[in-house]
Amino acid sequence: MKYSSLFVIPAKAGIPFIFLFFFLFSSSFAQAAAPIQQVVSSQGVRAWLIEDYTLPLISMSFSFRGGVEMDPQEKQGLSTLTAALLTQGAGPYDAKTFQDRLASSSIQLSFGAGRDEMAGALKTLRSTRGEAFSLLSLALTQPRFDKSDFTRLRDQQSTSVRFRLSNPSWQARYALFSFLFEGHPYSFRSLGSASSLSLISLEDVKIFAKERLAKENLLIAVVGAISKKELVRRLDAVFGDLPEKAGGPDLPLVAWPKETKTICLKREGAQTNIFFGGPMLSRQDPDWYAALIANYILGGGGFESRLMKAVRERGGMSYGISTFLASMDKVSMIAGSVATDTAVAAETLALVKKVWHDFYENGASAEEIAAAKSYLIGSWPLNMTSTDSMASTLLSLQQEELGPDYRDKRESFLKNVTRVDIKRVIKKYFNPAMLSFATVGGTKKLSCDLLQDEAKE
Amino acid sequence: MRHLLSWVTFFFLLSVPNSHAAVFHSQSFTLANGMQIVVVPNTLSDALVQMVWYKVGAADDPSGASGVAHYLEHMMFKRTEKLESGEFSAQIAALGGQNNAFTGYDTTAYHVSVSAKHLALVMQMEAERMRSLNPAVAEAVTERNVVLSERQERTENNPIGLFYEKLRTTFFAEHPYGRPVIGWRKEIEKLDLENLKVFYNQFYAPSNAVLVVSGNVNVADVLRLAAGTFGRLAAGEKRTSLSLPPVMKLPAKQSIVMRDARVKQAFWTKQILAPSYREAPQKALATGVLLEILAGGEVGLLYRHFVMDKKSASGIDARFDSDTRGPSVFSLIAVPSLDNDLAVLAKDIEAYLHKLAQKGFSQASVDAAKKRFLDSAVFARDRLMAPAQILGESLAIGLRIEDVESWPSHIRAVTPAQIDAALRSLLAQKHTVSGMLLPKIKGGAL
Repeated sequence: MKYSSLFVIPAKAGIPFIFLFFFLFSSSFAQAAAPIQQVVSSQGVRAWLIEDYTLPLISMSFSFRGGVEMDPQEKQGLSTLTAALLTQGAGPYDAKTFQDRLASSSIQLSFGAGRDEMAGALKTLRSTRGEAFSLLSLALTQPRFDKSDFTRLRDQQSTSVRFRLSNPSWQARYALFSFLFEGHPYSFRSLGSASSLSLISLEDVKIFAKERLAKENLLIAVVGAISKKELVRRLDAVFGDLPEKAGGPDLPLVAWPKETKTICLKREGAQTNIFFGGPMLSRQDPDWYAALIANYILGGGGFESRLMKAVRERGGMSYGISTFLASMDKVSMIAGSVATDTAVAAETLALVKKVWHDFYENGASAEEIAAAKSYLIGSWPLNMTSTDSMASTLLSLQQEELGPDYRDKRESFLKNVTRVDIKRVIKKYFNPAMLSFATVGGTKKLSCDLLQDEAKE
Repeated sequence: MRHLLSWVTFFFLLSVPNSHAAVFHSQSFTLANGMQIVVVPNTLSDALVQMVWYKVGAADDPSGASGVAHYLEHMMFKRTEKLESGEFSAQIAALGGQNNAFTGYDTTAYHVSVSAKHLALVMQMEAERMRSLNPAVAEAVTERNVVLSERQERTENNPIGLFYEKLRTTFFAEHPYGRPVIGWRKEIEKLDLENLKVFYNQFYAPSNAVLVVSGNVNVADVLRLAAGTFGRLAAGEKRTSLSLPPVMKLPAKQSIVMRDARVKQAFWTKQILAPSYREAPQKALATGVLLEILAGGEVGLLYRHFVMDKKSASGIDARFDSDTRGPSVFSLIAVPSLDNDLAVLAKDIEAYLHKLAQKGFSQASVDAAKKRFLDSAVFARDRLMAPAQILGESLAIGLRIEDVESWPSHIRAVTPAQIDAALRSLLAQKHTVSGMLLPKIKGGAL
C-alpha cells in the first residue's frame, strides 16, 4: 500500500541555484523527433504512423466517433457494454479461445466507450503482429456477442455500478452533470444503472456495434516497429471490411442552464466532496491557448496553482484541489473538484469562490503567465515516453483536428499568447458567477439551492 | 575537459560498473559514500525519470508515532538551506516536468519526470534536500492538517479503506506492518517537527539511498553529475539491517465482517502469510507464477471457473507482492454475482484451491504462464517509470540488481512441482485472516 503525496508551493520567484559546473558539462541528448507519416491504404483507410524500432513492439490506438452520447436514454451503459464485449469472442473463436489466443501471444487488446467515441488500443510484440492484427480484425468485423458472454459482462458492469455508487466524488460529478446537461446525452452515465442495464438486450448490442464501427468514423494512430509499406497492407486487412457509413442520431449542442445552482447531496461521514463547473470556449477557438494558460494559473497547475496554494498550503483544508478544461464535441467546460473536512466545507467553498473572483477581477501576473507557458511548452515530451502513449497522443491530435505539424507549431501557439489575450479570456470565461456546484457530505452552512439524494442504483 | 570528468569519476566511484544484459540492461555503480546508482538508458523519447529511493518507510515509524515517514515525505517539499518552500516543485514545473513522492511500509521514493536535458538541475535539487531540509514550524502544522485531510479522504471517508485498515491490523497485530502507512489519527495529531528531524537525520543520507535514472541519458553523464551532487554529501549512518521482525503470533481473529451504509457492493477477501523474496527466493518466484496461473486476467483459472463456468462470481482476483522487507501476503478477492451468497462463494473458492492442489498443475499451464511473464519484461521496457520503480525498490529493500536483471532465467527455472508446493503451503498456512465488507441491512442489527 503506497501513498502519493501532493504538495503545495508558495509563490516565490527564487533564484535557481545552479552551479556553473553543470552549465559547462550538461549536454543535451535529445534527438530529432521521428516524423509523423500519413498513411492511406488502397481501400482508403487512413492512419498516422511513427516508425520506431527501439523496441520490438507495435502500439495502435484508434477510435470511432460517437460513444456514450449515442446510448438510448433508457438504455444507458450500452456503449460501454458493447465495447467490453468486443474482446469476448469473434469469428471462429468463442470467448475462451479468443482470450487464450490473445494471452498466448501476450497481445494486449482493449476497447472502451468515451463520451464522444468508441476507442480501442492494441499493443503487441513485433513477432506476433500477424496474430494481433488478425484477432483485431475479427473483433471489429465478426464479433460473436454470444448470449452467455453478454449476461456475464452485463452482470460485471452492474457490479461496477454498485462500486461506483459508494464513491462520493463520482456522486458529486454525476449530480453536477445531471443538472448542467439535463435533457442532453452528456448527462448520461457511462456504466448505466441497474435498471438501464436490465433493459439492454443482446440485439441492442449488435445494432449499436454495427452503427458505430464504420470507416467514415474511424481514426487510427500507430507507433513502433512496423514499416509504412506493411502498415498499408495491414490497414486494409484489419479495417477494410468495415461498412463505410455510420448510423445513429445527430446530437444538438448543449444549451447551458440559464441559472447556476448549488446542489447538495447528504452523505454520512466527516468529509464533503465538491465538484464544480461552468462554460468554456471550445478547442477550435483561437483563444484556447489563452484559456489553457489561465486554467493552469488558477487551478490546473497542480502544486503551482492559486487554488492549491490557498486551499492546501495556506489553509491546510484539503489534500488537493484541481481544475481542468474539457472540450467535448457538443460543449466545452471548465470543471474542478476538492474534498474537505465537513466542518470547513462552507469555508472551503467560499475560499474557492474568493480566489476565483480575485483572478476574474485582477487577472494573472506576467510571472504567472511566463511560468504557465514554460510548463505547458516543456511538458510535451512527457506525452511521448512509450509507444502506446505516443499512439494515443497522435490519435488525440487527429480527434482535435490539429494536423501532424501541430507538434512543431504547438510551442509558438503558446508563446504567441499575450497578456491581453489572457485578460480577455478571463473576463469572458473565468467569472465565478458562471459556476455551478455539487456537494456530497454534510450540508451545514452551505447555501444549497437544491437538496438531493445520492444516486441509489 | 575530458580529464576533469574522469578525475571526478575516479574520485567518487568505488566500484566498477556492472553491466547486465537482461530485463532492463541497467548499469549500476556505488559512490564512495555508499549511495547506489542505477542507469537505464532509453532513447525512445527525449524524457527521463529520476527516482531516489530511501531504505526507510512506515514500518520504521517509532512506536506511538505512526505516520512519521509519510509526514516527512510531505515536508520534503518545504524549505531547505538553499531552496525555498515549494521551490523544488516550482522549478520542475517551470521545465514542464512532473514530480511527486510516495511512502510505503519498506521504502520512501521521490520521482521527477522531465525532458532529459534538465538532469543536472533535477539531481542538484534532489541532492540538496537529502541532507539540508529545514522547514518552518508553521508550515509543519499546516502540512499536518493536509495529512489528516488525506487520511480522511483515503480511509475515514472510504469504507473500503477502513475495511482494509482493520483487516491489516487484525492480520499483523503488533507487527510494524499492522499500522497504517499514513498513521493513526491520534498519533498524527501529536507529531511535530522534532519527530521529523530525528527521523530525517537518522535515515536520509547517501548510504541509505538508491538513485535510478531511466531515459534518454548516457551513463557517463549521469555518473559525473551524481558524483558532483550526491557524491559530495557525507555518507551518514548506514543501516545495519533492513530486516523486519517476523510475525510472532497468529491473528486473534481468523475473520472479520464489516457493515457500512455507504457500501453498495459486498466483497470477500482472504489474506494469507506468504514467503517474501528476501527470505525464500525460490518459493517466492514459484508463488509468483502460481499467481499468474490463478489470476492472470481472463485466462486465469479463478476467472474461468467462478466467473465463466460456475457464474457464482462477477469478479475474482489474487494479489501477491514478494518484494517486502518483512513478511509477504498472498490475498484473494471475490465479488459475488447477483443473488449469490458471499459466504458460499468464499467456501467454494477454498474448496476449489484444495482440489487444484491435489491435482497439481500441468506442464502446459505452467509454461503458458511463464511465457506471459517473460514477455512482460519486453513491455516493461516501454515505460520510463517501470525500470526506475522495479530496480529502485528492489535495491531499497536489500535485493541485488541481479535479482531483477536475471529474473527471466529464474522464472524459466520454476517447475510445476515447485508451484504445486507453493499452493500447498499457502493452503496449509495457519496465519490467515478473511474478511467481508457488506452493506448495512435496513433495521437489522449486525
